[in-house]
Amino acid sequence: MFDRKVFLHLDWWLLGYMAIIMIIGVINLNSASTAGSYYQWKQAQWYAAGTVFMLLCIIFDYRVLASHAVHIYILTVVLLLLVIFVGKSVSGSQRWIPLGFFNLQPSEFAKLSTVIVVSSYFYHNEKPSYGIKDLIRPTLLMAVPFFLIFRQPDLGTALLVLLIMASIILVAGLRWTSILTIATACIAAAPLAWKLMKPYQRERIKIFLNPESDPLGSGYHIIQSKIAIGSGQLFGKGYMAGTQAHLDFLPEVHTDFAFSIWAEEWGFIGAFILLSVYFLIIARGLQIASQSKERFGSFLAFGITAMLFWQAVINICMVTGLMPVVGIPLPMISYGGSSVITTMIGVGLLINIKSRRFIFDSK
Amino acid sequence: MRLPPRTIFDIKQFDKDMNAFEGRYKRCTLLLLLVFMILISRLWYLQIYKGDELRAKSESNRLRVLRIQAPRGRVFDRNGRILTGVKPYFNVCIVREDVRDMEGLITRLAGLLGEDEADIRASLYQGSKQPLYMPIAIKRDIDWETLSKISARLIYLPGVVIDVAPGREYPYGPVAPHLIGYLGEISEDDIKNNLYPGARPGDMVGKSGVEGRYNSELAGVPGKRIVEVDVKGGLVKELEETPPEAGDDIYLTIDLDLQMAAEEAMKDKIGAAVVLDPNSGEILAMVSSPGFDPGIFAKGLTTEEWKALNDPLYRPLFNKAIQGTYAPGSTFKIVMAAAALEENVINENKTFFCPGFFKFGNRDYRCWKKEGHGSTNLYRALAESCDVYFYNVGLKLGIDKIAKYAKLFGLGEKTGIDLPNEAAGTIASSEWKKKRFKSKWYEGETLSISIGQGYNTVTPIQMARLIAAVANGGILYRPNYIEKITGPDGTIEARFKKDQQGIIPVSESNLRLIQNGLIGVVEDDRGTAKVCRIKGITIAGKTGTAQVIRQAKRKEDEKMNWKYRDHAWFVAYAPAEAPKLAIAVLIEHGGHGGSAAAPVARAIIERWLQMQGPRPQDSPERTAGLDPAPAHQG
Repeated sequence: MFDRKVFLHLDWWLLGYMAIIMIIGVINLNSASTAGSYYQWKQAQWYAAGTVFMLLCIIFDYRVLASHAVHIYILTVVLLLLVIFVGKSVSGSQRWIPLGFFNLQPSEFAKLSTVIVVSSYFYHNEKPSYGIKDLIRPTLLMAVPFFLIFRQPDLGTALLVLLIMASIILVAGLRWTSILTIATACIAAAPLAWKLMKPYQRERIKIFLNPESDPLGSGYHIIQSKIAIGSGQLFGKGYMAGTQAHLDFLPEVHTDFAFSIWAEEWGFIGAFILLSVYFLIIARGLQIASQSKERFGSFLAFGITAMLFWQAVINICMVTGLMPVVGIPLPMISYGGSSVITTMIGVGLLINIKSRRFIFDSK
Repeated sequence: MRLPPRTIFDIKQFDKDMNAFEGRYKRCTLLLLLVFMILISRLWYLQIYKGDELRAKSESNRLRVLRIQAPRGRVFDRNGRILTGVKPYFNVCIVREDVRDMEGLITRLAGLLGEDEADIRASLYQGSKQPLYMPIAIKRDIDWETLSKISARLIYLPGVVIDVAPGREYPYGPVAPHLIGYLGEISEDDIKNNLYPGARPGDMVGKSGVEGRYNSELAGVPGKRIVEVDVKGGLVKELEETPPEAGDDIYLTIDLDLQMAAEEAMKDKIGAAVVLDPNSGEILAMVSSPGFDPGIFAKGLTTEEWKALNDPLYRPLFNKAIQGTYAPGSTFKIVMAAAALEENVINENKTFFCPGFFKFGNRDYRCWKKEGHGSTNLYRALAESCDVYFYNVGLKLGIDKIAKYAKLFGLGEKTGIDLPNEAAGTIASSEWKKKRFKSKWYEGETLSISIGQGYNTVTPIQMARLIAAVANGGILYRPNYIEKITGPDGTIEARFKKDQQGIIPVSESNLRLIQNGLIGVVEDDRGTAKVCRIKGITIAGKTGTAQVIRQAKRKEDEKMNWKYRDHAWFVAYAPAEAPKLAIAVLIEHGGHGGSAAAPVARAIIERWLQMQGPRPQDSPERTAGLDPAPAHQG
């Protein structure tokens, strides 16, 4: 199982990008930490733990995941159910399983297991292209974790699970007619979704459409975040000098709005650099997906890439006021153990897939 | 060469047509590029295009300009005694942002302060439009006992703060409240109309009198402290401080001794008294009675206090000295005498016979003295206030000549005293009547006018200026109450000079005749104001009675309902040879000028005499020996 070749083909570029992003993450959280809360050090610990997981994910042959997709699926659902019974509740949503040293957030890992389960499904049911009938099973399968996450409530992550699944389906090949049918159905179902949403979620969408309607209430976050980012201008206000963040005008500055303080203190240039790193990581992921010699690895790499892509894009759209506030963390930059470890496991798998693409050569 | 796909872990090692995916991944990469271009453009839009605007917003987010209240200027009398000083007021305020349980807090505060919960709620409601971090004053100027009670419990009252604000103190009590005015919390309308530039909600501003008129001078320039704050408004660090500039001090022309003597004499009476320096127009005392305590406005009025201040009969807030208009009564005979002499209708020796009434048309116009004055010359007509004499004079002059002289004596128009809401009064003429009532003038009406009844109305300040002009040889000075304004360091910023407004149209010799008549009013044994006589000083004056209802229906004053009783006038100057005081007194519903109003003038002049140094000849028997005042018609 262990192959020396794997290490020769390690993706050093991707590891380099991850190193850069970890450095940025610690620097930024150092500024985002308020007195008495040392997010930068805690995050560094998560990076260390994440690195261990990442390296562990390189060692084994990723294809083992395809055969254990069912177990991974069951584990995820069990963890999500556990949240309901022993979950810890923070500001109205129950998302965490307290483990003493760590509050496990199963919905974070659910994103990854979605990638594995959906990839595995399309790998095992190989067809040149798929129709709506082929989607029924995976949809029913994923509906369980989706609703478990949705009812926590964590609309952002639930939608993310949906987006990841949709991305893999599209790349696996969906017939145009089916795409049109689904699109029509989605539009028709929109009012129902609106009804199912919690009042605060509806409020967020309304506020997004017109943040100035409630500048001191829910619209406050978006307005303050835009002020923070915009006031950074070209070169930023300087490290540790972001007034919006340091004077508490910006909420959740270490988690959802971590990008805002970065853009405030490092300006357009800093924001551009960070975006470029994300772009490189995601482009690398697409390349790995494209270079894989077999469908499972390809789908897996693509699903992980899609996961990173959607999170980064939605978070940045959210803090720049292009999207409603849905509470999706920026991978690696937002503080949070589950999110960091999930991301790093994903990147480990990407490296794994990349390293093993030559195993199949010259046979 | 193609091998069948091998499987490990139940999985194929490679798939045959992976090329099909390459196109899809390429499209994905393009899509990725596009999305990141959008994100970059968005950042460009926010950080570069809108960067300046949002930077400015972030600055205003964090910087807050706090105001430092300037100590308000003080008000002194002409001798440098403090009429209105400054002392700290301790106000109980609520900062809503820090309150955990508002209902509980209101209940506890109501108990501690002895206030109604409804009043506290009302104060909170008034401030509800302000930012949450702004303290809202619940009760102003609490006493030491309450202060210590609250201070000891502050930690159990989250959201309650004690605010120190500069407030007023009145070392001599509420002296001249109408002139000095009072401070009150700025109203929403005041802010909307920008009546007090720079003032903010919750500020105490001058609402009337000197406090109102010279508010901007007294208020000084508030300082400011620019501080960096966090989102809760909490102070992070201080960036810049500009100290406040204290307000200017104002020295009034008021003489505290005379003012207090006048107020004492006016106590329990409704009316006004004005004392002028006839040689400059400076106001030495100005009383409107009843007065009020200007301090109560700062604390916030209770309903009863508000009702009392707005009593329709007493009208404590109304400055009757400049706002009250009354028929001049017989004091108008001064104008009549001047007009008649100047128009050669009479001379010093011209007499009219007074049988106690004057027949005109088919009506008898009565003299106040039923038995009549007999043959009366100008001196007696003034001293004894003969009505029949002036009926004759009035008919000969005609209404329009009377009106012309009245106006030249400064009646019927504002004196121009530097206070708002001064009343002009009315001087009737035939033209005036045509305009006002669209009807012609009847000569019978001239008769009423001739003895100061009818349409004509004047204010006490006008009459004071008039008698001052008679005293000083004919010059009408603008009544002035400001001596000087000094900056906080004592430099004089403004000093007021006398302002000559006009000269009454009377020749020197004719004026002397009138002055003699007026001396007779007090000093002659038959004078209507001999009650005012003081040994060692010659006083000139004129009594007057302003009818409140028509003479035809009148009964004996004492039997009449109090509010139908006549207003009593007395105008005077002293010493007659070299006048230093010009006084006008009006007592509403006081009855006769001689008995009701003259004693007030007398008290003022006596106080003035005391101030001139010890007068050994001034013995108590002198005043005790006076006859009870006879009932005189003015």
